[in-house]
Amino acid sequence: MKFQDAIAVRARGVRKRFGTVDALNGLDLEVRRGEIYGLLGPNGSGKTTFIRCVAGLVRVDAGTITLLGVSPRQAVAAGRIGYMTQAAALYADLSVDENLAFFARLQDVPDTATRIEETLRTVELLDRRRSIVSTLSGGLRTRLSLAAALLHRPELLLLDEPTVGIDPVLRREFWTHFRELASRGVTMLVSSHVMDEASRCDRLGLIRAGRVLAEGTAPELIARAGARDLESAFLALDSAPAAGAIG
Amino acid sequence: MNPRRIVAVARRIALGFRRDHRSLALLLVAPLVVLTLVGLVWGTTAETIPNVVFATDRSNLPAPIATRLSDAMTRVTAVHGHVATFDEGMAALRDGSADAVVWFQGSALHVTIEGSDPLRSGSIGGAVQKALVEAVSALGAGGGDSCSATGAGGFQCVGVALGMSVTAPNIQIERLYGSDDYTLLDYLAPVLIAFFAFFFIFLLSAVSFLRERTSGTLERLMATPLRRGELVVGYLAGFSIFALLQAVVIIAFTVFVLKVHYTGNLATIFIVEAVMVIGAVSLGLLVSAAARNELQAVQFVPIVLLPQVFLSGLLIPVQQLPDYLRPISAVLPLTYANEALKAVMIKGAAISDTLVLRDLGVLVLFGAIVAAGAIASIRREVA
Repeated sequence: MKFQDAIAVRARGVRKRFGTVDALNGLDLEVRRGEIYGLLGPNGSGKTTFIRCVAGLVRVDAGTITLLGVSPRQAVAAGRIGYMTQAAALYADLSVDENLAFFARLQDVPDTATRIEETLRTVELLDRRRSIVSTLSGGLRTRLSLAAALLHRPELLLLDEPTVGIDPVLRREFWTHFRELASRGVTMLVSSHVMDEASRCDRLGLIRAGRVLAEGTAPELIARAGARDLESAFLALDSAPAAGAIG
Repeated sequence: MNPRRIVAVARRIALGFRRDHRSLALLLVAPLVVLTLVGLVWGTTAETIPNVVFATDRSNLPAPIATRLSDAMTRVTAVHGHVATFDEGMAALRDGSADAVVWFQGSALHVTIEGSDPLRSGSIGGAVQKALVEAVSALGAGGGDSCSATGAGGFQCVGVALGMSVTAPNIQIERLYGSDDYTLLDYLAPVLIAFFAFFFIFLLSAVSFLRERTSGTLERLMATPLRRGELVVGYLAGFSIFALLQAVVIIAFTVFVLKVHYTGNLATIFIVEAVMVIGAVSLGLLVSAAARNELQAVQFVPIVLLPQVFLSGLLIPVQQLPDYLRPISAVLPLTYANEALKAVMIKGAAISDTLVLRDLGVLVLFGAIVAAGAIASIRREVA
């Protein structure tokens, strides 16, 4: 029981097929509570599909996914999940405040005004709270998207390529926030193909063709591949014919 | 101008169409479908034979002639003739089972028509006159004994008895609903109100919900505790506020600016329209599920609306449609909205009227079924 409590995400033999394509092909994975787990893989490897399964948006064909001891839909319904989609996915015709107020109502956030202010301060968007989203730059929209995912203080944060298309300064700021959240016990499942980002995760799962090819910390994966850095390790492991999980 | 660049642009458009099968199909097939529909509706519309009640108790003809004439009227081809009392005839006119009540008085042929539909009204007077000529001719051919009571014989005796020319009788047409000072707009206003309200709110809700899908916010919403039903009902509520506002504006403009005649209660007109537009919002949400972008959503407009233009009684009364098109007409929401609004605005029907209640019930049922479809169309596959 104690062991189960320590696991935030448990995926066992997860399969998902779209038409003739096997998006997930027997994926096994465990994310510990409070850790930042990076899903690393090339485009089309199944990262987003897996995150969508975890978010309860896609029904798996086979296998099981357990989040915080319950099913994905139960976790979502209880407001325990925060999901930051790849695109900002905000209401462009509403203001920053109005967007957050809407998501706060859906998540039954108590003391909405205070929580919105705190969240906006966290993502450094307080001075733009009255701006209409359509007038914001891409970077500011990404901040707001993160704010919408954080607002209800989820236990598990699903981040689908959260820093794609944003500049290195903002990326660094984001990772500072993520690290703070992790220190407060929030579990994060982050998909990425940016090596700089991957190296900041506590553990990584290298995904290819809908399976976890290798798993471990960044130094473990580098050592296993006999490479100098994570990018070389990624390329080496990705091109290997078969590999078992480590770590 | 550089022809190569122009050709490049044109080629780009052609390539796009080649991969957008739906647009291509709509471009080529939709006009054929619409033309087929037009052909079916206008090319084969049956010349509906009116049901005419011959009111013997009101006619001032000598009894034997009245009997023979009314008997002959039931055998003519121009109308479906029935013999009944005047009161029975008027009751049949109100419940829609008769189109006209006819009787002779003085030297005139009196015809009371239902009158709520100008297209139908226009043909009834002519049909009755034709029937009269047919009946009198039949009597003439039948021999002289029919007029023995008057001492006259055969064909002429009827004219004598009627005191008029049977070939060009003095026909007095009265209307149960509407009046001579009604313009075409007065008769068309109920169906136009319904159509425009339906059209605009359907389009708006379809495109808006599609934007929710394409922008990714729907996916984000589905990763919150919000349920699909809550989302659809919330959408219905949000759009309905504006749909109802639109209904108020359309009705007020029609009644107070266009000065359209109406006999029913304004509130009843509003309720019918309100129920209809809520169904239109649901349909918009459902249709948005089948479209991948706003262009495709707009393509659904003719598919959803054109059958309703031709088959809901907007252009041609449903009763005059060929039999095989009526089942389609029966599943279109505008058919019921048109019927109810005509009943209220032209006939002065109240909300408690059976016909209005039935139409409202069908519209509510339509809205509920389509809303359920919209909920199901949000493909949140529960893990």
